[in-house]
Amino acid sequence: MLVQLKVNGELRSADVPPETTLLKMLREHLGLTGAKLGCDVGDCGTCTVIVDGQSVNSCLMLAAKASGRDITTIEGLANSADLHPLQKSFEELGALQCGFCGPGMLISAKNLLDKNPEPTVPEIRDALSGNLCRCTGYTKIIEAIQDAGRAMSSAGA
Amino acid sequence: MATTVKDVKKGAKNLTTDKDLTAPAVKPLTLPKDNPVIYPLTLPESEARRQTPAVGQRASRPDGRLHGLGQTKYIDDLTFPHMIFAKVLRSEHAHARIISIDTSEAEAMPGVLATLTGKEIPVNSFGPTLQDQPVLADSVVRHRGDGVAAVAAVTEQIAADALEKIKVEYEVLPAVFDSLEALKDEIKVHPPHSNIYTSKVIKKGDVEKALAASDHVFHRQFRTQMVEHVPLEPHSSVALWDGNGRVTIYTSLGRITLGREDVARTLGMAQSKIRLVGTIVGGNFGGKNEITNEPILALLSKKTGRPVKCTFTRGDEFISSTIRHPFIMDYTSGVNKEGKILARKIRLVLDGGAYCSWTGTTIGKGSILAPGPYNIDNLLVEAYAVYTNKTTTGAMRGFGAPQVCFAYESQMDDIAEKLGMDPLEIRLRNAFSEGSSSPTSQVLQSVAVRESLIQASERFGWKEWTQ
Repeated sequence: MLVQLKVNGELRSADVPPETTLLKMLREHLGLTGAKLGCDVGDCGTCTVIVDGQSVNSCLMLAAKASGRDITTIEGLANSADLHPLQKSFEELGALQCGFCGPGMLISAKNLLDKNPEPTVPEIRDALSGNLCRCTGYTKIIEAIQDAGRAMSSAGA
Repeated sequence: MATTVKDVKKGAKNLTTDKDLTAPAVKPLTLPKDNPVIYPLTLPESEARRQTPAVGQRASRPDGRLHGLGQTKYIDDLTFPHMIFAKVLRSEHAHARIISIDTSEAEAMPGVLATLTGKEIPVNSFGPTLQDQPVLADSVVRHRGDGVAAVAAVTEQIAADALEKIKVEYEVLPAVFDSLEALKDEIKVHPPHSNIYTSKVIKKGDVEKALAASDHVFHRQFRTQMVEHVPLEPHSSVALWDGNGRVTIYTSLGRITLGREDVARTLGMAQSKIRLVGTIVGGNFGGKNEITNEPILALLSKKTGRPVKCTFTRGDEFISSTIRHPFIMDYTSGVNKEGKILARKIRLVLDGGAYCSWTGTTIGKGSILAPGPYNIDNLLVEAYAVYTNKTTTGAMRGFGAPQVCFAYESQMDDIAEKLGMDPLEIRLRNAFSEGSSSPTSQVLQSVAVRESLIQASERFGWKEWTQ
């Protein structure tokens, strides 16, 4: 079946089998391998993408259900001029170890900062509750999100 | 007259001008500024590139930027033209004899290109210490995660559906799940061999005499559980068998040189014909230290002439990759009135699961570290690793060290409580110092246990906390 989506501002389409998840469509049909397959049951959050302003486990959403909607993946965070402030602070503060949880973490964090530019630590924890890091790096991830939030607020002010 | 280098340089200077040596200015590539899909073209050099020497610097990871951009390529992110997908059928029983495996119905399915059973694997055994593990079980399954057959199909979905069409007939055998039961050898996992497949004894002084002379004797049994590594990246590999009879395997394996030895053994091929390509691993923690299905994919690629990928499901990850050894630890310690440990007698029973894997390293490290970082003149450590019909245990962060640490530190607390001593004081009184001798009589240097304990307790306010 033909599924058409807007991914990172670009109109993309693919002919996929009906059981295809959004994650599979992004990774295997559109070549966007940033979102990862970790558990395939919506527990680990490595597949997180933003669908119409909501962070979503793309392993649980059928591609057909995402048809016509606006998707942001990790590939859409940086622009041609610069890294996203979150990417900068994650790099500078060493918030990623093996990196496998990174794309999902960053997307959840972006979705949080888009709505709440200066979140408290409990708010950050809440926003990341669907993202697991097995290298136990949560402290630095939280620091990096706060850091990026401050950078974005002062740049916007 | 011979031409010297100097002459050449002189001549060259006359022929070229400084302007010629300067590269023409490159006009920067212009792209719409808000194009969200293109990665940044120019960025300041990564911090990691300028960090040398590292001591005293705030370090950043060399791979941090690509991680953040989502550009790091893990194995499952790789695709190859005409790539197909494999799935492995796992045992239905903890312990059973395989009577027959019928793959014909699966093979007949549209989209299925090949199947594989253990009998087709040239040398169907591997392992980093003992080669006791089949790549695919061919005669007996020894735990629920043992693979019995594999399928390669054009999509993962078809491969998964095809697994359901494979008929395996089993004769169920009695199974043993408890490591103390397994010690009795009533049910053998690898007959005719004993379930005790490796052991270690460390002796120092006279433990019985010292226990008899102690003012207090403490005994307690400590147990730890199975732990799965749960790397966020499941095991994944892609095998490409080429027309020259060579195979390239892209794998999430952390130890590719050891892995190549195992692949060479199982395929009965020279190592020079096998290339293993490792990349950034999405979490290892010890669980990606040995091969899993690499030989299966190699043979399926040989059969089909196509690149074959297999990525573990989370279920595969839990039941068929290795886990941490559960320990049953009996600790007996003899202590005098002042809190000095005079003797310690330890028995460790390691639940090895169905196959050996990295048990050799685990039992060694676990035994040596079992008495703890304390000066104890009379020691006896006896450790046994036993087979059970459970998930194979192998390497995991610390190789047995965390299990014994839990036991000896718990016993230190028991001793402190009974003697009415500060738990910190009992540790300081017994801790290793410069020149102490380890349980295996290694003279230790650069020992900072006491200093570390004192500093740490001061920093987190141990005194205030215990008042």
